Amino acid sequence: MRTLDSLVDKALSRRTFLAGAGAAAAAAVTGCSSQGVTTTTPLYTDADILNYALNLEYLEAEFYLRAATGAGLASADTAAPTGYTGSYTLGPVTPGLAAQVANLTTAQQQILNEIAYEEQQHVRFLRAALGKAANPRPAIDLSFFGPLATAAGITTSTAPAFNPFASFDAFLVGAFIFEDVGVTAYAGAAPMISSAGVTAGYLTAAGGILAVEAYHAAYIRTTLTARAIAAGNASAYPYLGYANQIESLRASLTVGNAAQPSTAGAVETLLTLPSGPTSPSAIVPADQTTAIGFARTINQVHHIVYGSGTIGTKSGGFFPNGTNSLFATTTA
Amino acid sequence: MATPETQLVDDLLQQGRRRLLTLGGAALAGLVLGASPAQANAATPYSDSDILNFALNLEFLEANFYYLAAFGCTIDKPNAAAIAAGAPTKGIPITGSVGTAGTVSGGSQVPFSTTTAGAYATETAIEEGKHVLAIQSALGTSAIAQPAINLGTAWPALATKAGVAGGATFSPYASDSNFLLGAYVFEDVGVTAYLGAASLITSASNLQIAAGLLSVEAYHAGLVRTALNALDPTASAGLVTATNQISTLRASLSKAAASSTANPYDTNPDDFGLATTTVALAGTANLSATRITDADPTNTIAFSRTTTQVLNIVTGGGAINGTTVVSPALGTFFPAGLNGLFK
Repeated sequence: MRTLDSLVDKALSRRTFLAGAGAAAAAAVTGCSSQGVTTTTPLYTDADILNYALNLEYLEAEFYLRAATGAGLASADTAAPTGYTGSYTLGPVTPGLAAQVANLTTAQQQILNEIAYEEQQHVRFLRAALGKAANPRPAIDLSFFGPLATAAGITTSTAPAFNPFASFDAFLVGAFIFEDVGVTAYAGAAPMISSAGVTAGYLTAAGGILAVEAYHAAYIRTTLTARAIAAGNASAYPYLGYANQIESLRASLTVGNAAQPSTAGAVETLLTLPSGPTSPSAIVPADQTTAIGFARTINQVHHIVYGSGTIGTKSGGFFPNGTNSLFATTTA
Repeated sequence: MATPETQLVDDLLQQGRRRLLTLGGAALAGLVLGASPAQANAATPYSDSDILNFALNLEFLEANFYYLAAFGCTIDKPNAAAIAAGAPTKGIPITGSVGTAGTVSGGSQVPFSTTTAGAYATETAIEEGKHVLAIQSALGTSAIAQPAINLGTAWPALATKAGVAGGATFSPYASDSNFLLGAYVFEDVGVTAYLGAASLITSASNLQIAAGLLSVEAYHAGLVRTALNALDPTASAGLVTATNQISTLRASLSKAAASSTANPYDTNPDDFGLATTTVALAGTANLSATRITDADPTNTIAFSRTTTQVLNIVTGGGAINGTTVVSPALGTFFPAGLNGLFK
């Protein structure tokens, strides 16, 4: 078996190299002459892709756990894995206004508990799958919801900061920031998994997490839509409009795909307020022609979570020190 | 450049992949969803087109259900209401290179009384219709014809088998909540079917299509489960009970298909209804939680099913006789079976 294992290991690294060579440069080009034709073809492994996903799951888990219970990930879920090589630096969480969301109905609290649990388990799953290669939680800033809401035009810069922990409706808007992005992030990453990774089950796992993120996203979009219908009009329930303002901001941050929501080339579909049973809702964000769900590149996702459309950004937004991943620096 | 060594490596990988296929596409050593059951057709050569055609059968079923519920017409004959909502004026083609176009029996427009359920039906109908067109476009001349579809008597038969109260007269076209239960029957299955198919696909572009279709089915499933949960938040109206009965039936049909092989199978159910569960969060144990997501309770990763498992569900057990795989599988929604290789 040793021989077979070593052959498969060689195959893994070879496939990884081929995958890297065929993909767009995923890291900033530094120190290259502008006249040169030099392009970086960085190698990435399946572990790099899983670690990218783990960074996003750390963020989601810290947000949902705090919203559901007031406390973030347990220390066991952020501890250095056995055998981790190098310096394991655990990033702090800046809680901002984070607190258990108050005045929830029993049904609403059950929803928060479910989503928090599922994101917590995704962190555990990815860390277990990565083993000693699992990267530490990066620094996470949950006070970024305020500046993000201001950038989206939801609040003015002089108003009190938007607080996604203030009420159930505010929570829905906070969650809305993440969930559609999570779906597209997994859809974009799935085809990057190597054939050996497919054999190892990573593709099925990534697809299965993608589906769970889509279930969550559908919950958020359906509930925003239903509550707007119940309220009767958009001004009586401003949160639907807030969600759409976030979609517009996400679109504008995404370098290389800045098309406004619901236009050709966009990877966003704005929520609608149906006027009656024959008027369609817009729960599903998908291509207008094919109704096939969108994908985002790793780079597009980084632009969004950093809150920056600037190329070469290494950190910002929800990740004040950047993600702990190979892909931490934004590109075009 | 294949050197002797890399050729050997490729051969090993190929063998590993074939071995994986015989396991149905999930082999992450106990980490993923327990274990995944056998692919009954593993010995049969198949292409991406065969996999997409399998999906096309299911999309024909879903699209016709939602078109009938929302508009009162099938996908090939859109009426004014369908066209106003975005259906192609010429209708959606139901012919193809394999099989003759089958008819759709049963089904009628739902007298929606709420904006929410009606709006969801309208949206979903248009999206499922676009899926049929998108897959037909990806397949080109390889696309199968629409199989014969039963969207009438299949419902009370299935509801009775699941043990749903009043099952013998169950119609998903009778009311808003019945429509949502009908949709519930399909959507979670669509998720597991695309997930099972993903690792069988070889081309990156087809994989991207499958991932996008998977996400939309999961959005639909999440929509339906959210809507049902909102109508029965305390599990006292019978809807939550019905979802549990339907999920239990699906898990049973799925398990029957998996157990028909010698491969290891996780005996835990691969489907969950909307009844609440108990979870432990970071600092707090024993918290009550909903089940909007239909997923493995430990890793909270959605389930994946083989084509045989999916066939056994949509034919109400037609794919398995005792411990033997039956092909073509007939019954329930597909009285004459599916078109294409996987049937």
